Amino acid sequence: MIGRERLLETLNKVVASSKADHTEAVFIGSESGLTRFANNYIHQNVAETNSKTFFRVALGGKIGVAATNAFSVTDLRRALKNAMQIARNQQENPYYLGPPTAADYPDLPTFDEQTAKFSPRQRAGKLKTIFKRAATKQMNLAGSFSTGSGELAVVNTAGVNAYQPFTSAAAAAIAMTDTSSGFGQGMSRKVGEVDIRSIGAKAIKRAHQCRNPKDIDPGEYEVVLEPVAVATLLEWLNYIGFGSKSFQEETSFLSGRIGEKITGEQLTIYDDATDPTAAPFPFDFEGTPKRKVELITDGVAKGVTYDTMSAARENKKSTGNALTPNDAGEGGLAFNLFVAGGDQTLDELIGGVENGLLVTRFHYINGFIDTPNGVLTGMTRDGLVRIKNGKLRGGVKNLRFTDSMLRVFSDIRGLTAERELVSTWWDALGCITAPAMRVGSFRFTGKTDY
Amino acid sequence: MKDKLKTVVDYLKSKGVDYGDIRYVRIETESIRVTDLTVDTLTKDIDQGFGIRVIVDGAWGFASSSICTAAEMRKIANRAINIGKASALTKKEDVRLAEVEPQIGSYATPFVTDPFAVRLKPKINLLLKINKILTKNSKIKVAESSLAFFKTHQVFCSTEGAEIEQDILQSGAGYTATAVEGSDVQKRSYPNSHGGDFGTGGFEFVEQMNLLDHAERVREEAVALLAAPPLPAGRRDIIIGPSQLALQVHESCGHPTELDRVLGTEISLAGGSFMQLEKLNKLQYGSKIVNIVADATSPNGLGTFGYDDEGVPAARDFIIRDGLFVGYLTSRETAPVIGRKSNGTMRADGWNRIPLIRMTNINLEPGDVSYDDLLADTEGGLLFETNKSWSIDDQRLNFMFGVEAAWEIRGGGKGTMYKNPLYTGITPEFWNSCDAICNKEHWHVWGVANCGKGEPMQTARVAHGTSPSRFRNIEVGVMQ
Repeated sequence: MIGRERLLETLNKVVASSKADHTEAVFIGSESGLTRFANNYIHQNVAETNSKTFFRVALGGKIGVAATNAFSVTDLRRALKNAMQIARNQQENPYYLGPPTAADYPDLPTFDEQTAKFSPRQRAGKLKTIFKRAATKQMNLAGSFSTGSGELAVVNTAGVNAYQPFTSAAAAAIAMTDTSSGFGQGMSRKVGEVDIRSIGAKAIKRAHQCRNPKDIDPGEYEVVLEPVAVATLLEWLNYIGFGSKSFQEETSFLSGRIGEKITGEQLTIYDDATDPTAAPFPFDFEGTPKRKVELITDGVAKGVTYDTMSAARENKKSTGNALTPNDAGEGGLAFNLFVAGGDQTLDELIGGVENGLLVTRFHYINGFIDTPNGVLTGMTRDGLVRIKNGKLRGGVKNLRFTDSMLRVFSDIRGLTAERELVSTWWDALGCITAPAMRVGSFRFTGKTDY
Repeated sequence: MKDKLKTVVDYLKSKGVDYGDIRYVRIETESIRVTDLTVDTLTKDIDQGFGIRVIVDGAWGFASSSICTAAEMRKIANRAINIGKASALTKKEDVRLAEVEPQIGSYATPFVTDPFAVRLKPKINLLLKINKILTKNSKIKVAESSLAFFKTHQVFCSTEGAEIEQDILQSGAGYTATAVEGSDVQKRSYPNSHGGDFGTGGFEFVEQMNLLDHAERVREEAVALLAAPPLPAGRRDIIIGPSQLALQVHESCGHPTELDRVLGTEISLAGGSFMQLEKLNKLQYGSKIVNIVADATSPNGLGTFGYDDEGVPAARDFIIRDGLFVGYLTSRETAPVIGRKSNGTMRADGWNRIPLIRMTNINLEPGDVSYDDLLADTEGGLLFETNKSWSIDDQRLNFMFGVEAAWEIRGGGKGTMYKNPLYTGITPEFWNSCDAICNKEHWHVWGVANCGKGEPMQTARVAHGTSPSRFRNIEVGVMQ
C-alpha cells in the first residue's frame, strides 16, 4: 500500500505537469494472495504486488490513453507523454465533454485490517480443517481462497482528488465423490465473514446428496435456482444487457424497451455500490460518486449503467459505472448487482415444487446466441437435484439449458428473503447479491453422462 | 536484467530451496479500435515485473512484484519461500519435476515490420476506411474494427542453471458489422470474430489479411442475415469452416488434454476432463483421419515460442494420432505421472502469474480433399462459418456452438442462408463422425487471443491450425 498522501501527491504532481486541456490519472494497486487446492492439498499458492496507472488526456475532443505499472515519477511522466502523443494522432470524439468535477463521496466500509494482513499460513490453516473433514467422508475438495488489499485513486484537472483503500476475501470449494460433486462459496470485504468451514460443509453435503446420479431427459422443468445459479445468469445478463454499450448498439434486451414490462413483476434488479451489506465502493474509475441504479423494477425495464462519455450520447449524466480509461469504449458496467429478495425460505421454495429440479450452479454460460431476447445456454454443475413432492430426491446427471431469461423470469414463483453475496470475475470491485429463485419453467436442451 | 535475476537465483540457492526460478517480463501493448467512425480505443500500455517460483519443503510457492529493484526481488524471494512453507502444511507428497537439460539460449519471433514502428495515423486510417465501407448500409447499426500488437521481452533463470531470453511479437486485426432490425441482431466478421485473427509476426501479418477486400461482403452478409430464416432443428451433415473449427479443437481437444485438468487441479474453475489417464492410448477419440498435434513451432502461430515458462524448449507432439488419443499437454511436474518428459506447454499470463499447462498451437493436421470437392460431395448438407457462441460442460463432453451464418450446400456451392445456427454434440461421438478434412491449401493457423484458465484468471494467446472439415449426422438448430 502506498497510502493516500503519497499517492495523491505523486499523481497530482504528474497531472499538474500536463499540457493537455484535460488530464485524468487513475491508479489501482493491490497486494493479493490466492491459495488454490485440489485433492485435499494446496497445489498453487501465489502472491502479487502490482499497480497500474492510467492517464487519459484530451486535446480538445482528441483523447489519448496510456498506462504503466511502474510508479516512479519518471515512468508516470513517460506514460503521460505517450498519452499526449496518442491524443495528437486521434480523431475528435464528439462525446467527450471533459472529466467529472469534484464531488462528495459516501463514507463506506471498504477496508478491513485483518483481511489486508491475512497470511498464506492463515489461509492454509483454515483450509486444513476442511480437507480433514472431506477426507473422513471419502471426498476430495478443490477450490480457492483469496485475500487481498488495494487502493484506488482518481485525480483530474477538474478537481477530482479521490482515494479509497479496500480489501476483499473470497473462497469457493467443490467437494467430489466418485460420482458426484457439490459446491459452496463465500465473499466479503472482511475475511472474518468468509466462513471456510461452512463453505466446505455445504459442498460436502450437496456432493453426498447427489451420489450416483440418475439419468434424466432434457425438457421443460420447474426449477429452484440457488443464489449462485441466479448470480451466474446475472453475470451474463449484465454483460449483454445492463451496460450502456449494448443498450446504445441496440443489442441489449433492454434496448428500446425502457418503461416496458419485460419479465414477471417479482423481478427487481439494481446496481448499488453504496449498500454496505455487499462489497461497497464510493466512486468509479472516473471519480463519479456511486449511486443506486435501477435496471429492472417489478419486471419493468428501468435503465442501464453509464460512464460520462456513453451518458453524453443520450444527454444523460454518468451513473458512476465507468471502467478504467483503456476500456472506456465499453461504456458503463455494473459491478454491484442485487436481485431483490422475497419472503420465503429455500425449504419453502423447494416445498412448493411437485416435480422439478434444484440447480446448485451453472457452468460455462454463453449469452451471444440471441441477445435481444436474453437467450443463454450453459450446463448445470456440482449438484443437480431432483425435487419430487416438495422434497429433494437425489442427484440427476447434468443437463444443458438453452432459454430466454426474459421467458424464464416471466414466471417467478418465489424468492428467498435471505440473499447470498456471490463472488464474480470482478470480485475486488464488487459482487452479486442474489436470493434463491423458484421459476415455473426452465428449458433443458441436452444432457451429458455424469 | 539477467545479472539481477542471477543474483536472485544465487540467493534462492543460499536459502536451500529444492528448486527456484525467476522470470522477468516486460509487455508493451498497443490497441486501436474504431467504432463506426469514432476511434474509441487508442491505448499504449507498458507492463513489467518479475515472478519467483520455488519448491520449498516439497511444495510450491510463488510471489511477484512490479517493482524491479534488487531489494524488492530479495523481499519477494523471501515471500515465495514463506508461501511454499505454508503450502507444505497440507502436502501429501513432495513435488518432483521431470528432468530437463538446463537451457542457455534465446529466441526471437521472426518478423518483417515492427508494428510499433508503424505510425498511428495509417493504422487509424485503415480502420476508418474499413468502417466507412461497413456503414454504407443503414441497417448496419455498429461497425467495429480493431488492431492489437503485443511485444514481450522475457528473461528466465533457474537454480538448475537455465538462462533464457525471448522476444515475442504478436499482431492481430479484424472487424465486425452488426445489423439490427427490430429485435433481430445479426453479425458478420472478418477474418474471424473475437477481434479477428492473431499470430506471431509483425505488421505484415495484418497486411496479409487484405482487410479492405472483404468489408463489402461482410456488410452485405450481415444485412442478408436479417431476412434469412432460422436454421431448422434436425440432424444434418455439416461442413465446419476453419475459424469455427479452430474453436471446436480448442474447447473439445485442447482443454481436455491439459494434464493438470485431468489430475484435478483446474476443477475449481474450468473443470476436469473426460480424457482420464486410463484412456491414454485406448480411447478412439476421433475417426482415423483425425490427427491433432501440439506444435509450439508452427510458423506465425499465436502459440509459437522458443521455450515455455519453465525453460523447456518448444516441441511438436501428437495428442491424437489416426484418431487415437495418444498424448497430453504436460509440464515438468505432471509429465512423470504418465512416464514422459514435459512437452513444454507451461505458460504464464505475464510476470505476475504462475505458469500453468496451456495450449500452444493445437493443430488439426490437414487432410487430402480440396474445398470444392468437399462442397460438391456434401449436397444437402450445411456449411457453418465464424463463431458466435460457445459452451461446453466441465468435463468437455457436451458442447454447443453458435456461428454467425450457415448455408445449405447446393450444387457444390452456397444455397439458402440461415441465421442463428447452432450445433451440439458429445466430443468423441462428434470427432468420430469426421469423414473429410480439407488439404493444406485451405489450412491456416487461427489465433485465439483470449483463452481463460486458472485462478487468479490468466488469459493465454494460443492457436489452432485447421481446414474446413465435414462431420456426419450432427444435431443442429436446437432452439427451433
